[in-house]
Amino acid sequence: MALMHRILERMQSDLLDALGLAITVHDKRHDERPSVIAALGVGSDFVDAQLSGIGGPLPDALAYQVPVLSLDLWTDDRWPELTLAAIRDRAPQHESSWEQVHGAAAVPGVWADEATVVVCCTLSQPASASTVASLINYEQLVSAALITTAAENASAIADIITVLQSRGAIEQAKGALMGLVRCDAERAWAILRRASQEFNVKLRELAVALVEHISGAPAEQPDTGTPITPDDRTREAAGLMWAALSEAPLPQ
Amino acid sequence: MTNSQFRLSAAEAEQPPVVTASGDIDLANVNEFSDVLNTAAADSDAITVDLSDVSYCDSAAVRALFAVAATTKLGLIVPATGPIMTLLSISGLDRVAMVTTRD
Repeated sequence: MALMHRILERMQSDLLDALGLAITVHDKRHDERPSVIAALGVGSDFVDAQLSGIGGPLPDALAYQVPVLSLDLWTDDRWPELTLAAIRDRAPQHESSWEQVHGAAAVPGVWADEATVVVCCTLSQPASASTVASLINYEQLVSAALITTAAENASAIADIITVLQSRGAIEQAKGALMGLVRCDAERAWAILRRASQEFNVKLRELAVALVEHISGAPAEQPDTGTPITPDDRTREAAGLMWAALSEAPLPQ
Repeated sequence: MTNSQFRLSAAEAEQPPVVTASGDIDLANVNEFSDVLNTAAADSDAITVDLSDVSYCDSAAVRALFAVAATTKLGLIVPATGPIMTLLSISGLDRVAMVTTRD
């Protein structure tokens, strides 16, 4: 879903106060939770927190199919359980961002029968009518892109699910690498990508294999679709990669 | 503008132009509604939209109102209770527009 990421990057250049952006899809025909198909900043964690039961602009936009705006999320009387303390509990890794959050907005659109998409943002300033107007424009772009993708390639939506499945494992693998090599997320991502090229294995399968190699337990994968099962060659690559990195002196 | 469902009264003295809507506002006529809102907002930095006689409006109308509020100071006149007031509070439009309720 590179296209969706490009759309989010454009949104970010329009919404300079944005701390998080996300595009969430909910297909009511399958009895599943809404899924984030692209996100920037705190976007993905903010969506997950709202869907964990504390409410917020996104679940309301989905339920009532209207744009939803908030001037100050943590004090908004519509969502008494959505507080700074509650969000800290759910996503402590973004502690400093949550403190900066004020406004938010979510704009829904329907791109297929029973299938809804919501474009949402969290801001360091109160949201305004302009924020919503801007999201309305982007929602139209996102819906058009989804319709085109679905029309051109029926399996494209299945691909989205695969990407979602791999993301948990990729994040876990990155986290493990950051701990082992003592590097930042960007460097961990580069190591993972380079290893996948060198061993000529799929990155998402390598991530799953790596997580399973380290933990000796299955990697985190959502319940939707077919789980990613790395083949023996990928498992071997993951083992070699981990051994090599474990022995290497710390990079300066 | 002579539209039976969306009427525009020009600005008077210190008062901004008023768009008076009635009946249902939905996907079928939201473009007309937007056109009237934009015409009203074109010559003024504030407009008032009277929704007292609107029987039904949905997401399409809320989007049109957010869009016009992005460029203009928006005043809304709505029934104190009922579906329109509910829609305004769910969407948060009541937090960026000046809402006057009418019993």
